[in-house]
Amino acid sequence: MMSTFLASPIMHNIFAGLAQGVIYSLVALSLVIIWQSTHVLNFAQGAMAMFASYIGMTEIDRGLNYWFCLVVSLAVGFLFGGLTERILIRPLYGKPEINAIVVTVGFLGVIEAVAQAIWTSTTRNIATPLSQIYFHDQGRVVLLSPFVLFQFGLALGIMALVAVLFRFTNLGLKLRASALAPEVARLLGVRVNRMLTIGWMLSAGVGVVAAVIVASGSFGLYPSDMDGILIAGFIAAVVGGLDSPVGAVIGGLLIGIAEQFVLAYWSADLASLGGLIILVVALMIRPQGIFAKSVGRRV
Amino acid sequence: MKWFRSIVAQERTTARLTGVLAVTILTLAITFVLPPVADSQLAGGAAISIVILGLSWLVGWSGQISLGNSGFMAVGAYATGIWAVHHGSTPLIFTFFLATVIGAISGLIIAIPSTRLSGPYLAGMTLAFSAAISPIAQNYTSVTGGEGGLFFNTLTTPHWFLGLFSGQNATINANAQWTADLAVVVAGVAFFFMANLFHSHTGRAMRLVRDNDVAAELVGINLPRTRTVAFVVSAAFAGLGGSVYVLINATVNPSAFPLTLSITLLTLMVLGGIGTLSGAVIGGIIYAFSTNLISHLNSLTGINPTSNLGANMQGIIFGVLLILTMLFAPHGIAGLGRRLRFFVKSVRRVASVSTGE
Amino acid sequence: MIRVENLTVNYGAIRALDDVSVQANPGRVTAILGANGAGKSTLLRTISGLVAPKSGRVFFGDRSILSTSTENIARLGVAHVPEGRGVIYELTVEENLRLGAFASKVDIREGLEKQYTQFPVLGERRKKYCATLSGGERQMLAMARALISNPRVLLLDEPSLGLAPLVTSELMNLILELCHASDLTVLLVEQNAKSALRIAHDAVVLHLGTVVASGEADVIANDKNLRHYYLGLVQ
Repeated sequence: MMSTFLASPIMHNIFAGLAQGVIYSLVALSLVIIWQSTHVLNFAQGAMAMFASYIGMTEIDRGLNYWFCLVVSLAVGFLFGGLTERILIRPLYGKPEINAIVVTVGFLGVIEAVAQAIWTSTTRNIATPLSQIYFHDQGRVVLLSPFVLFQFGLALGIMALVAVLFRFTNLGLKLRASALAPEVARLLGVRVNRMLTIGWMLSAGVGVVAAVIVASGSFGLYPSDMDGILIAGFIAAVVGGLDSPVGAVIGGLLIGIAEQFVLAYWSADLASLGGLIILVVALMIRPQGIFAKSVGRRV
Repeated sequence: MKWFRSIVAQERTTARLTGVLAVTILTLAITFVLPPVADSQLAGGAAISIVILGLSWLVGWSGQISLGNSGFMAVGAYATGIWAVHHGSTPLIFTFFLATVIGAISGLIIAIPSTRLSGPYLAGMTLAFSAAISPIAQNYTSVTGGEGGLFFNTLTTPHWFLGLFSGQNATINANAQWTADLAVVVAGVAFFFMANLFHSHTGRAMRLVRDNDVAAELVGINLPRTRTVAFVVSAAFAGLGGSVYVLINATVNPSAFPLTLSITLLTLMVLGGIGTLSGAVIGGIIYAFSTNLISHLNSLTGINPTSNLGANMQGIIFGVLLILTMLFAPHGIAGLGRRLRFFVKSVRRVASVSTGE
Repeated sequence: MIRVENLTVNYGAIRALDDVSVQANPGRVTAILGANGAGKSTLLRTISGLVAPKSGRVFFGDRSILSTSTENIARLGVAHVPEGRGVIYELTVEENLRLGAFASKVDIREGLEKQYTQFPVLGERRKKYCATLSGGERQMLAMARALISNPRVLLLDEPSLGLAPLVTSELMNLILELCHASDLTVLLVEQNAKSALRIAHDAVVLHLGTVVASGEADVIANDKNLRHYYLGLVQ
């Protein structure tokens, strides 16, 4: 009985939605990390992740294995995030928030154009050691594969790691204090500027994991692929509450599943419209986000 | 009528009319000497300058931001395309009016949930909007022509205008120039309207909302309504610009409005100078001739224009310029010009004071 | 320990401090008194490096700290409890305390134990979020967080603000006790001149950014003119 349930159309859509949803969750989480610390919404977040994972892929081209590629991508992501904060974002603190929006949008344009110049705009794929073939049960397809399970595990692992880091370590405490009360943190000897850089590094790293998952999937990754994912991640983060990491993760899963149902029962072209409608409704009903702690905040 | 008076400036209307008229006539004169290719490029630049002006008004005067104006442009463009396919014989002025109104209505729909939002939320929301528009157009194939889009030939050059040309390529020259002149005239009307709006009651209220929303509320300005008006006007300009844009290209399709167009609009607005008429003109000129500039740059640096790098040069340069302008000269080229004038004036003043001693 | 010489600070066109010189020594409480807007907080914020002065010098011992960053001044051993106490509401009591320990090489566990013995209430509420604490408890937490790093200088900005008279009096006794016990240099900014002068050894009176009097606290406390015009102590 159980197996026919897993192969039912509903579960098909839920599994497919979750597989897409964990990607959105990771992007949403990465947006929330830097939103909390610097109140910047980084429109280049997806593009940065794409670029880092492309660099990781060039290592695979040289014959190195998947795990090494993942590590290289992460390292490049950390570096990229840190440098971006230092060079592009730091001059904008205290300026009107429009300036940071414009600069990150410009950065998005530069990264994608450079990536297309280096690697062309075609789709690239990272070959995973894990099988992408779906499980079968009594002849019926269950929309899960070893790779999809790994994808869930990796995403959950990263989220747990981020949660532990922020909640239980000294670094996490300093990061939170720097975001909540930068002046007080400085008076207590916390190097706030360094914390902001570390926050951007972490955030970029989380984004890179999302890009690597996309690139490892059967559809691969192309340079502007992360644009749509960034928008979905943004919607997820807003729905969950831009200052709530847990909300961002749950928001991502919800958006993933919702999109999958629009796609399955309505039209593939209208998935982005579905996302927009969810965003509008969420903002009208509860603008601070479903899981936000602060109530009545002006958004 | 009270509503109408609030968006029309009370004084110095004639001066503004003269200014806009002078620039329009000058540009029309230039179209007579430009080769047909340049005329076509100028037409595109004029169309885009209308969109830039609408965005510039939103950002510079009301302090809101939109990454969705390429979406409003698409709405105006499709309204024009669909109308042109079914009712090709109506006067052009009606088509422009229709595109403007439909652009405004789409702006209103987005504005209602957005006006309570601050910058980053608004930017993300409008981005989501612009990303949703092209797929919607793709979905309803029977109306929009789907992926291939719609084709129409509404811009026919009148006989009297054709008669002005003679020689080998008379028709080609006349068509290119007619297109350019038409776009320039529409842009001129749009700029005149905006010039008045800047100095109207609504324009002044907008500045106050941008600089200090608490104070604005205290003097009785309705914040959500003012912000909504700003958004609707901006979307109407984008709709009109989109209409002109597709009329001169005689086709509309979903790939004409990618995310990069939003980035391009933002770049041109910032580069020209946020919140100014001259900034939008400069932005339009840069757009019109950017391909020439880029190919010139490619030949200077020896980059093969058909290579990957050559093909992506515009994206790289626009993005870099956008970042550098925002970091180092946030008032754009128009701002630099103003500062230069101020500098020259103060140098003169110092000079006259020191010689006067 | 802390020496400020000829300090001038501008906020835009407004002069917040004008040629101010102050010295505070170990084992002594130096009260900075004056009305609202006299420049008391600005003085502390300049010492901590949060405000850049137009001219003047600031010394920690013999070392000039004018170009030292706020973080590094804190790491030198200057603990600054800002106006409004600076307790971070979204963190728990223990997290706030741990945060205080990063400025030094103190063992966090030992430091926490020491402060929980000193302030048993904080020990009872260690897992509570600070938003749930009372005003007095928040002040205790702010003090404990400053003390956990074993500082050599304590800068207190209006600690009595919003506290009941009895609590204020206890707090002042505690400040004096700490000052003597660990040879602390205490700079105490107060509008409540009466409470501050009760424990202070030295006092400086600021008025609209300038020093109008400085010296032994007893002398200042008994100066009729000062009491009347600047300290609001009229009997």
